[in-house]
Amino acid sequence: MEQHNRFWRIALLGLPLGLFGLFVVWPLFSSFYYSFTDWNGFDTNYSFVGFDNFAKIATDRLFLQAAINTTIWMAAAIILPTTLGLMLALLLDSRVAGARVFKSIFYLPICLSAVIVGQIWTWIYQPDWGLLNTIISQITGEKFKYAWLAKPDTALWSVIVAWSWQQTGLAMVIYLAGLTAIPGDLLEVCEIEGASPWQRFRRVVLPLLAPSTVVVVALSVINSLKGFDILYIMTGGGPFNSSDTLAMHMYNESFKKYLMGYGSAISVVLFLIALAIIGLYFRQLRKVDRIYG
Amino acid sequence: MAQLQLANLRKSFGQVQVIKGLDLAISDGEFVVFVGPSGCGKSTTLRMIAGLEDATSGTILLDGGDLTRARPADRSIAMVFQSYALFPHMTVADNIGFGLQLKGTDRATITARVAEVAGTLHLAPLLARYPRELSGGQRQRVAIGRAIIRNPKVFLFDEPLSNLDAALRVQMRLEIARLHQRLRATMVYVTHDQVEAMTLANRIVVFNDGRIEQVGTPMDLYERPANRFVAGFIGAPSMNFLPVRTNGSLIDWPGIAPLALPAGKAQVVELGIRPEHLVAVEEADADIAGDIEIIERLGAETYAYVRVAGQPADLTLRLPGETGHRPGSRIGLKLDWSRAHWFDADGRVL
Ligand SMILES: Nc1ncnc2c1ncn2[C@@H]1O[C@H](COP(=O)(O)OP(=O)(O)OP(=O)(O)O)[C@@H](O)[C@H]1O
Ligand SMILES: [Mg+2]
Repeated sequence: MEQHNRFWRIALLGLPLGLFGLFVVWPLFSSFYYSFTDWNGFDTNYSFVGFDNFAKIATDRLFLQAAINTTIWMAAAIILPTTLGLMLALLLDSRVAGARVFKSIFYLPICLSAVIVGQIWTWIYQPDWGLLNTIISQITGEKFKYAWLAKPDTALWSVIVAWSWQQTGLAMVIYLAGLTAIPGDLLEVCEIEGASPWQRFRRVVLPLLAPSTVVVVALSVINSLKGFDILYIMTGGGPFNSSDTLAMHMYNESFKKYLMGYGSAISVVLFLIALAIIGLYFRQLRKVDRIYG
Repeated sequence: MAQLQLANLRKSFGQVQVIKGLDLAISDGEFVVFVGPSGCGKSTTLRMIAGLEDATSGTILLDGGDLTRARPADRSIAMVFQSYALFPHMTVADNIGFGLQLKGTDRATITARVAEVAGTLHLAPLLARYPRELSGGQRQRVAIGRAIIRNPKVFLFDEPLSNLDAALRVQMRLEIARLHQRLRATMVYVTHDQVEAMTLANRIVVFNDGRIEQVGTPMDLYERPANRFVAGFIGAPSMNFLPVRTNGSLIDWPGIAPLALPAGKAQVVELGIRPEHLVAVEEADADIAGDIEIIERLGAETYAYVRVAGQPADLTLRLPGETGHRPGSRIGLKLDWSRAHWFDADGRVL
């Protein structure tokens, strides 16, 4: 019996651990390994170059651009859907007419894959017949033509809007659940003590939503770090690398310029950044834990 | 001064009327306890006084001023909830000082007031803790602290002690009594606990199905219930009810010799007698006799449940702690007729 149990325990744990090792741990370590080489991705001949790749990162103007874009991208991809989702949740929670319909509508985009969302918004931004320019033309009364995704000034932000459109529904649903979990008598205490709507939100509702915020932000961070596909579909990092992120830069260096060694070095840096963010996040989590258990 | 007056107060949820016209005057400094079966509208009434629920009709007056439509915050009323309703993300100090913080009172004043309130409630060492790091009794004291710091005119308590264990309940009951003595504030208190009601109240209000059955001092209600409902509701264990038939001027009662009917009791259909007004006697001297079914020993006293032929329910009898009576043995009972309650067919006392 004991033997039997052990077999199953090992077998059932072994499969997922094996897959995890194969698809996560092994590539991770091979990235570390290749980051010290000049491998081009297919040649069997390559040599060790020490920290050359990392030194190159320090002087790579495109890396700096991508790092700045990534910061903007992540900040926006966390802040926008989170605040918009929270606002929608507060609005729909206060029993406006048709709240259920709106909830479904706002949630719908999250069911689409990033590729489809990217395609939809590419159409919306299309310069000649896209929805956005058509509407602007209608309002102003004169033909408006602007290539949102092809101009360095607007490319990144246009993608951020598309991304937020998709992610807001998720934040909204999580916040709606969080709002229903707030005990009604706490809000009644606010009424009796004479809290203004803003005071109630700032001092009671928002802090009590902290567990939801933890989840929303965690998902936003994870999703935005993974947010490669929508950029790839909509701009491919262009124009002139104006919407390049680190993930996109890494992809371009590795698979377009065949600098697998250098690409690996970028991925190592990306990994360390992610690690730092997660570390900060867990520290925050412990604080929330002390209060909410 | 805090004189509270409810006049023809009604409340409906949709089509269902749950409060069916309440009239009640509560004088300044009075401790009034609401009791009644579950769902009879005690909480709803309390919440209407607090302003958390809108009255459908009728008025609520505080010192003559109409606050039926006033916002909760403008009523000078504090409420203590059964669930304590403490903010989990605030320390004890912030929970108590919450109302003052909202008003923008300066920090030094808040700290001083919080310290003062915490001192009287023995919370001083706990000010930096979060609610989940407190025991139930401590949490309830914080909730009371949050109520008293604002110096409200009226305190409302909705079953504040029902989440506490028995020992703590006794202790907190005393603290609330002390609080009332010290503050001399008007307090309205909802409870399911007979002992809390009897010990804390200046007056008890008995609710039933959205109406007030009777208002009176605890001993009033105990000794002179106005009707069968109040008679059965007040007192634990509850009063014994014995159906009777009148036969001209005599009570015709199975099991006992016919008795002369006292004056004015001709309409009687049921007799009520509290367990302590039944006396165990020799069967020969008894009004009724029966067999003891169950004996419950509480230490200081003992309850005996006696099966009497012809009676629909067992009679409860209060005996001394040390008693020789055993289950299954025969027992004779004598009624203290001067303490008997006589009810007519509508449940009214004769
Ligand atoms: N928000 C509401 N909507 C509909 N009906 C309600 C609502 N609140 C209370 N009721 C009904 O009103 C009646 C009185 O409820 P209330 O809570 O005042 O009873 P209670 O006397 O406090 O009972 P308990 O002793 O169980 O606390 C109940 O029948 C209840 O179902
Ligand atoms: Mg209640």
